Amino acid sequence: MSNYFNTLPLREKLNQLGVCDFMDSSEFLDGVNALKGKKLVIVGCGAQGLNQGLNLRDSGLDVSYALRKEAIEGKRDSWKNATENNFTVGTYEELIPTADVVINLTPDKQHTAVVNAVMPLMKQGATLSYSHGFNIVEEGMQIRKDLTVIMVAPKCPGSEVRAEYVRGFGVPTLIAVHPENDPEGKGLAQAKAYCVGTGGHRAGVLKSSFVAEVKSDLMGEQTILCGLLQTGSILSFDKMIEKGIDEGYASKLVQYGVEVITEALKHGGVTGMMDRLSNPAKIKAFEISEELKDIMRPLFQKHQDDIMSGEFSRIMMEDWAAGDKNLLAWRAETGETAFEKTPAGDVKIAEQEYFDNYTLMVAFVRAGVELAFETMVQAGIKPESAYYESLHETPLIANTIARKKLFEMNRVISDTAEYGCYLFDQACKPLLADFMKKVDTDLVGKNFNEGKDAGVDNRTLIAVNEALRTHEVEVIGTQLRKAMTAMKSIKTA
Amino acid sequence: MIQPVVHITNLNLKYRNKPVLEDLCWTINRGENWLLCGASGTGKTSLAKAIAGLTHSYGNIAISFNPHSSLPAMVYYVANWHQFKDLEGQSNFYYQQRYNKQSVETTATVKAELENFGKQHALQFDDIDGILEALGFSGQKNATLIQLSSGEHKKLQLVKALWLKPQLLILDLPYNGLDALSRQNLNTLLEQITKSGTQLILISNENELPACIDHFALIESGKLVEIPAGEHNRNELETLNRPVPAFLSDAVAPFSSEQIIKMNDVNVSYGDKQVLKNISWEVKAGEKWVLHGHNGSGKSTLLSLICGDHPQAYANDFHLFGNKRGSGESIWEIKQRIGLISPELHWYFDPSATVWQSIVSGFYDSSGLFSDPGYTKKAQADELIRYFGLEEYKDTLVNELPLGKQRLALLGRTIVKNPELLILDEPCQGLDQQQTQHFNSLVDELCKNGTTLIYVGHFESQIPTCIEKRILLENGEVKSVKTITQKTYTN
Repeated sequence: MSNYFNTLPLREKLNQLGVCDFMDSSEFLDGVNALKGKKLVIVGCGAQGLNQGLNLRDSGLDVSYALRKEAIEGKRDSWKNATENNFTVGTYEELIPTADVVINLTPDKQHTAVVNAVMPLMKQGATLSYSHGFNIVEEGMQIRKDLTVIMVAPKCPGSEVRAEYVRGFGVPTLIAVHPENDPEGKGLAQAKAYCVGTGGHRAGVLKSSFVAEVKSDLMGEQTILCGLLQTGSILSFDKMIEKGIDEGYASKLVQYGVEVITEALKHGGVTGMMDRLSNPAKIKAFEISEELKDIMRPLFQKHQDDIMSGEFSRIMMEDWAAGDKNLLAWRAETGETAFEKTPAGDVKIAEQEYFDNYTLMVAFVRAGVELAFETMVQAGIKPESAYYESLHETPLIANTIARKKLFEMNRVISDTAEYGCYLFDQACKPLLADFMKKVDTDLVGKNFNEGKDAGVDNRTLIAVNEALRTHEVEVIGTQLRKAMTAMKSIKTA
Repeated sequence: MIQPVVHITNLNLKYRNKPVLEDLCWTINRGENWLLCGASGTGKTSLAKAIAGLTHSYGNIAISFNPHSSLPAMVYYVANWHQFKDLEGQSNFYYQQRYNKQSVETTATVKAELENFGKQHALQFDDIDGILEALGFSGQKNATLIQLSSGEHKKLQLVKALWLKPQLLILDLPYNGLDALSRQNLNTLLEQITKSGTQLILISNENELPACIDHFALIESGKLVEIPAGEHNRNELETLNRPVPAFLSDAVAPFSSEQIIKMNDVNVSYGDKQVLKNISWEVKAGEKWVLHGHNGSGKSTLLSLICGDHPQAYANDFHLFGNKRGSGESIWEIKQRIGLISPELHWYFDPSATVWQSIVSGFYDSSGLFSDPGYTKKAQADELIRYFGLEEYKDTLVNELPLGKQRLALLGRTIVKNPELLILDEPCQGLDQQQTQHFNSLVDELCKNGTTLIYVGHFESQIPTCIEKRILLENGEVKSVKTITQKTYTN
């Protein structure tokens, strides 16, 4: 198998990267009809598999689960999830041949093995659905020409997919049809019906392509979502310890700070987040985030370039072949950081204090979101896709850090994201060494406003506000957030 | 001189810039046990939280514990609702999540929760079994917190409080959701702990109170007013004579099938625990049922099967509105025909919705409003807002209102689409007597037009008069089904 994207002529590369259409709700008036009466077989019953299946069944569709024989005989968690919710469960051999749609919801790493096992069993003219395009785009999996290949990717953890559905809403979802596998032209209709079945059509659906999804998803998770949150958290904690801030306080500020700060990001974008700071703090955060953007821009660009050229996938798959040697070493290293090992102190930190005492993180988040967005757009990814893969997902990842620090974040995200995150973190820390030398506790650990006059120069403030508000991520974000009218707030602290 | 236990002077408390308590004074002397009663929204909960130090107030609250007592020198408040947390300290649970089985346990078991609480307060584990037994909670020890209903969470909080025996215990609407036997046993336990030195502030509008209550008060215009014993439940309330909105009273409930519900030999188990055993039940269009049963008898599970909230409906012989479950219908098609209120629905309702949005969301069966309802639906919602007297709260977030007002908004949501099947699971929880009467007369009115009704209520006094049939569950089985000829109910 060879990298699918690299086989395309430039024209077609740009064409597929540029597929991006925020769909109107009138596109979903047919409901689940395109899948009504069809046999849907989900492969895998983890968080996404189970919760999507529960939704699809509650939308009147016929859902069952195909699991590996060992999972069934060993009564593993996937088997329990499916049977305890009264789904039909069978082996690939038993269920796949009858399926009209096979929905692959297994982890990325297993895709090649799963698809190779499933494809020969699939009936003529059936549909294969993915929730991530890595296998098709990066591994270059070739799918039988009679099969339709679609992607339906809810942009939230599995439990949210269910929670939002039962309250009559849904989660933002990305759909795509693989242009090499749409022999009957039914792919889009089925993907839309699937979206209605999971409730995604109520929260905004972005029509994308396999290529655009993969190239933007990889970029987002490596840089802003996981990479920079990890680097920023570790550097912030270490700085506070170096400057003598109480370690319990420092640990709590870092663990919950990203969540509180990005909650503001979720509701009001970068502008909303920056507006939580006092005027002097905002100007300072703006200035240092400009500096951070200059320092980190080459690294962000390198990540995007390696993703586009397939270099990233190549080295990661090499690591898969080597039994995850690097991944496991980096994972262990992350587990040994001082931040990870210091429990959050039993101190009360008020919501506003997370902004006032952690201005550095606000600057990191602004720099990371804007850089990731800009770099993706420069590489030919459309702003809507870039928004979802940068700003939109940041609060979701921050929530995992609030739960159990970086360990939890790296456990929850895919192995692909985790690998990319470490790669970024390894390169970013040395890059920021000089910058961090200048950072003091007014930016992290203590209230920035303490002992300062709250006055600012009008013209400076206006210029800062102008720069923040007119950034393209803000312009597109304002439009897209309107479609997600009822985002539930996730709270830990 | 012995100091009073609680001495409050000139307490002021504002809620959203609206004064709730104004220069309130209250003295609770050693040995006294108080009932705090009165209409919904007068500030009972706010006052309780202020005494427990859970909300900010102005004025002076002096609390003097008995230095010679062996009981913990603390004020312990049991809220009318309890928000539990998962093992990571989060409370991101969703409506009916407990019926969606996930193999990974994310919440502690009741046993672990109690052990943790006992350790924290250095309590004796020998003391707890009697309490669990009395409240009918012994069988729940191995359940995880997510599996408990809201009523069971409430009980768990009561168990903790009774075990802890703090010097001052404040219980906010403790009887809500408790069956008759549990209420009686709770009163006995309360009498016992007051004898051993705990003092009680009980917030309730019920008639069956523990004998130890010796002082009665209500809040009037922000001030505490002591009232004579026996006056707390005088029934001279003026009835609200607002006409039922025409779009409800004149409409004839549409029904699509003679047979609303038919279930045959329904079984539901969680692991080894069988919650429903061989249940067969048929509800025909226009019938008015009351569903009775002790706490834990399986009522909530049975109703969740009917409302499309329980995945096990797919595994049973279960017909709704003439169609077998799992024959291609969506849960939204089912919900469209049902008006539901339940403690669970209230508990998990979207906290970011206003009163008006909540009522309108009843047209779409969503928790929160995501659609533009258009002119007719808006007008109907406005009529209901007037009917329930909620005009001034129209744009207020539901969760910023007192419990009774929250409940009225959700009752409006339940009936706004004039559904063919009404499922009222303890609809009057948190309402005062006047509101309860007002709501019940509305239910009677709707039922005249052919609406089918399933009613669950542990308090006989709250049950509407139109009920004609009764099904009784006991330990997950149908104990009896009968037609009611006289208006006598036994629970």
